[in-house]
Amino acid sequence: MLKIENLVTKFGSVVALDGVSFSAQESKITTVIGANGAGKSTLLRTISGLERASQGDITWQGDSIIGKRPEDIVRMGIAHVPEGHAVISELSVEENISMGSLFRRRKFKSDVQVAIDEAYQLFPRLLERRKQLAGTLSGGERQMLAISRALVSRPQLLLLDEPSLGLAPLVVEQIIDSVNTLCRTTGLTVLLVEQNANTALGVADHGVLLALGKVVADRPAAELKADANLRAAYLGY
Amino acid sequence: MNTFLAALFSGTSRGAIFALVALGLVIVWRGAGIVNFAQMGQAMFSTYIASTLITNGSNYWVGFFVALFAGAAMGALLDILVMRPLSNKKKTELLSSESMRAAVPVIASLGILGALQALAGILWAAEERGFPAPAKQEGLSVGGNVMPFTSFDIFVISVVALTLIITTLFFKKTSVGLAMRATALNQEVAKLSGIRTNRTRTLSWAISGAASSLAGLLITPTSNLSPNTLDLVLIVGFTAAVVGGLDSPAGAVLGGFILGMVISFVTFYDTPEDVFLSILAVLLLVLIIRPRGILGSKDVRRV
Amino acid sequence: MLVLGSRFDAYNQAQLAVVLILFIGVLSVTILTGISGQLSLGQGALMAVGGYSTALLIINHKLSLWVAIPLSIISAGIAGLLLGVAAARLSGPYLAGTTLVIALAIPTLANRFMSIFKGDEGLPVDVGYPPAWFSNIFGEPSYEKWQIYVALPFAALALFFASNILLSRSGRMWRAIRDNELAASLNGVNYSRQKIYVFIVSASFAGLSGALYGLRGLVGPSVYPVSLSLTLLTAAVLGGIRSISGAFIGTVIVVYLPDWIEKVLGNFELSEQVSNFLPSLISSLLLILTVVINPAGVAGTRLHKHK
Repeated sequence: MLKIENLVTKFGSVVALDGVSFSAQESKITTVIGANGAGKSTLLRTISGLERASQGDITWQGDSIIGKRPEDIVRMGIAHVPEGHAVISELSVEENISMGSLFRRRKFKSDVQVAIDEAYQLFPRLLERRKQLAGTLSGGERQMLAISRALVSRPQLLLLDEPSLGLAPLVVEQIIDSVNTLCRTTGLTVLLVEQNANTALGVADHGVLLALGKVVADRPAAELKADANLRAAYLGY
Repeated sequence: MNTFLAALFSGTSRGAIFALVALGLVIVWRGAGIVNFAQMGQAMFSTYIASTLITNGSNYWVGFFVALFAGAAMGALLDILVMRPLSNKKKTELLSSESMRAAVPVIASLGILGALQALAGILWAAEERGFPAPAKQEGLSVGGNVMPFTSFDIFVISVVALTLIITTLFFKKTSVGLAMRATALNQEVAKLSGIRTNRTRTLSWAISGAASSLAGLLITPTSNLSPNTLDLVLIVGFTAAVVGGLDSPAGAVLGGFILGMVISFVTFYDTPEDVFLSILAVLLLVLIIRPRGILGSKDVRRV
Repeated sequence: MLVLGSRFDAYNQAQLAVVLILFIGVLSVTILTGISGQLSLGQGALMAVGGYSTALLIINHKLSLWVAIPLSIISAGIAGLLLGVAAARLSGPYLAGTTLVIALAIPTLANRFMSIFKGDEGLPVDVGYPPAWFSNIFGEPSYEKWQIYVALPFAALALFFASNILLSRSGRMWRAIRDNELAASLNGVNYSRQKIYVFIVSASFAGLSGALYGLRGLVGPSVYPVSLSLTLLTAAVLGGIRSISGAFIGTVIVVYLPDWIEKVLGNFELSEQVSNFLPSLISSLLLILTVVINPAGVAGTRLHKHK
């Protein structure tokens, strides 16, 4: 289980996360929604170690991960797919995926190729294009690639930051479906940050609504989806 | 005709060495975002170590490999002791200015260069000393004719070619090479993939250090060894890297050979005194016409 | 300063003169790098331009040094203009590297055009003797003391101009460019042109310094080695790259360091090898330490007013 307690992250004098507390249940999809600037991306970046929190604690399966370096947090089973530039355009598809499994080569040598094959199974389009440079892929393919890179590190917790950004609805559906299947079949815990609250709440078990760095609601997804007042006030629909 | 051939071959063998120097600069630029002005100082220092070993009776090759190792070690130490603390510094007022942030590592590397030159002076005095070559330096005799190149030239070209091949294979085919390329291209994604970027960066410094030591070993037999001899080589290496594209290893090699040819032809057909000016001319030409370099990518100028 | 000078012996008087002279040179670095953020390794070469101009004007055209020096400032300024035009589009290591190449290329002109510049031998030139009216009032000063008298008004002038520039509108513009080029240009600052202006101003300071530096006795490549640029930079950084007081502190450190080292280590029997290179080793190490630990330098730590 992922537990966030009173997390505060600042950028200079700007407070991006203002005492955020919630938990993400194991093997469930928890979605973090909210308007632009609510602090959703900062939340994921603080969990994965890219940003430093000034207060609070984050525990994953009982161990505190606050203050650790990103490369160590990955080794603890947490994979982060950041929004936007999550793949390296100048490297090939194969190399991008391979990157995620480099640190496992010593201990889990035989499993590395298995993990890579599983990723190609999940996203067959990548297998076709595996020698191409990542920069030549379409937006949807790049997102699939970024997720594959994260998956080959065999995470128990997947942090997904706005996978729908800039993608056509059909592609988004495909990707979210794949992630959903993954969660249900392998027991992967997913923390999904989404601008598109409707889609996210449709697939999530639990929802956390952020506004201006604070948690405004922390409820089962179905309830959040049904609460029209909350949606109108914070999500605009 | 003979002058032309001689210039051509001299240009090739010099060019090979400059390619190495430029490659070392490019590796550190890509891996750490810094132009290491101390690079040839490291080369000078390790060549002195080799020289000391050789004059005390060691075999050339022992000195050779010790120098390579020393160069790598120095590069790694530089990163760990100076460059890493530098990049970890909190944003003080001075460092909030973007040009100061870019200038500070340059100043640090200049300080290291000065320290290495002074240390070399203390340890070995500033007299010029010769440095042996493992191959003869007279014109090669083939079938009774004296060729316009020496067996040393062939040695240099072969060693550099071999190094370039090994380096390319290393970067393209190994896991460590992939980790280094990833770290150089996008540090954040590399970290999120579990790559230990600090270690990878130090490795870039070490490899660059070894490459520049190799360059030093190859060039000193034809000049002489003193704390300042390799300053010119740094300038040419820098120009070569800029000409080829500071973020392109292939560009570094190309730039090295271009500069090698330019210097060679200026020396043979004009006068050696014009060498610095011709280097400057080439540098200014590239910066005006194609600032990113011949093979450089569009955002090579990230500072 | 003058009172101090009278108390010193000839050697220290000469050192004091060097402090005053190099202070002007270090100011050129403070202005160029500290204020406008452009790192140039060619200040030594600009000093050489000033020095050679003065020497040629005095030797070939028999001008008094009081006329030759201002003319040399102008010639250095022109060199600065050329340098600025070449370099204004560059930044960071590109700028540093290019100025380094220029700094290495310019001195080769001395050997290239031997007839004019007399190659490695150089052009002997000196501060001469004080005019009669001066000796009548103040008594005949020693050569070293006269050096101080000549350097002092120029140093004072440099100090005056530097402070004015720092506080002026131009100064503020240049600091804005240093801190964030993009923002400054969005604010309407034509930063290419301003960067060139800074080069011209900074080069003028360097030229003045170089002229006085050569007037100690010789103008030649050995007087203006490549390491001179590094020395100026070291002084500026050690003392505090952003302030005038920093420039002065740094100059004092760099000039007197060899003497202090000798005083401290004089008791140890050091070989000539070590004592020749120890000062530069220590100043290089100080430079590294300053940059890594306290980049703002000595003056920077207490600096709150000026930026």
